[in-house]
Amino acid sequence: MPLNILLILVVGGIAILALLLHLLGKSRLVILTPEDARTAWHRHFPDDEILGLTVASDGHAAVVQTDQGPGLLWSFGADTVARHLRDFDLLEKPGHLSVIFRDFTAPRVTLYLNATERPLLQKMMVPA
Amino acid sequence: MNNAISYPDVTQLAVPFFLSAILLELGWIVWRGRGGRYETRDALTSLVLGAGSVVSGMLLGFIAWGFFMWLWSLTPLDLGASALVIAVCFVLDDLRYYWVHRFGHRIRWVWAAHVNHHSSQHYNLTTALRQTWTGAFTWMMIVRAPLVLLGFHPAIVLFVGGLNLVYQFWFHTEAITRLPRWFEAVMNTPSHHRVHHGRNARYLDANYAGVFIIWDKMFGTFVPEQEHEKPDYGLVHNLGTFNPLRVAFHEWIGLFRDVFQPGLTLRQRFGYAFAPPGYSHDASRDTSAEIKAKHLARNPTDAGTPGFD
Repeated sequence: MPLNILLILVVGGIAILALLLHLLGKSRLVILTPEDARTAWHRHFPDDEILGLTVASDGHAAVVQTDQGPGLLWSFGADTVARHLRDFDLLEKPGHLSVIFRDFTAPRVTLYLNATERPLLQKMMVPA
Repeated sequence: MNNAISYPDVTQLAVPFFLSAILLELGWIVWRGRGGRYETRDALTSLVLGAGSVVSGMLLGFIAWGFFMWLWSLTPLDLGASALVIAVCFVLDDLRYYWVHRFGHRIRWVWAAHVNHHSSQHYNLTTALRQTWTGAFTWMMIVRAPLVLLGFHPAIVLFVGGLNLVYQFWFHTEAITRLPRWFEAVMNTPSHHRVHHGRNARYLDANYAGVFIIWDKMFGTFVPEQEHEKPDYGLVHNLGTFNPLRVAFHEWIGLFRDVFQPGLTLRQRFGYAFAPPGYSHDASRDTSAEIKAKHLARNPTDAGTPGFD
């Protein structure tokens, strides 16, 4: 196949599919309930005992207290990702909180928290 | 000795088919409200990784080609290019694929190249295109050496390898549940390969086949999909990024960081590079065998059932 045709097919195909998926509503982030968050945490860390769990009001993240220390679960497209809060920095920005993990596979999570929950969740995220 | 054989690059020729089939699968899912899931950035990452894999093949393909042509110059055997020879080569190359794929899950150096294929939490036709950019660095091309030395021309070996890859595209779907029993018994199918992509303890290190599932049955790695346990797709530790560069290179970076950390013995450094994924010198991580053992400790009634026998 000539290279220029291949290039048009690949670039055009990717662009059309991405647009189509977005228009079909497939870009929406999953919304977590406390029960979803609990199940999702155990999916990522089946050995952990969950001691407590608080879901952000937008449903896109949860701070989880476990016997292994605190952890963060967040919406990742239609799915979730979770990490224990062991090696990270918090960057406070107006309107959001950035969690910077020293982890090449999950470098940054942005949390949109309201004024009431922000200090509460922030406190829960710090390892005891 | 014939050096002038050439065959089309079937993976490139199949690109229009890949794109049409993806649109068809998406249409089916939207229309029927079942048969799989799509997510925009996940699909985009898969497609970009697929495109990058084609580019990587164009840029690095000369390494394998040069190696095979060197072997071809050494061998006194030439089986020719009849249809029968191509068919036999296809079957033997599928056996080669089984072992390369098995090494890809059992040796971290090879897993570092293969892991991105498993990095999506989705299982749809775009996942099939989430292919490696770094396969040439694993030197798994060595496993193809016997085929060339036996007298299969390198062009035939690469041609049947391309056919093998194209065959593997269609079964990355949840839209097809089960196929007729005779087909499921011999061929790799959506059901068998869903198991392979499962991160459930039961499904780890199973169903490595490319085209013929018989290799898994012969070598003891076959696990049938269980009605009561849907595969949970993705990695044991799922990625928190859609960035294709991070997806493509994350395990290589992790591997080199581990190997070159201070205070390790030579044996431990070797383990981080070539032991099964999950190896750690301080027991801080779990291999698939340890994950299965922990699962059985939590669920003792699963002992002896498929995937735990």
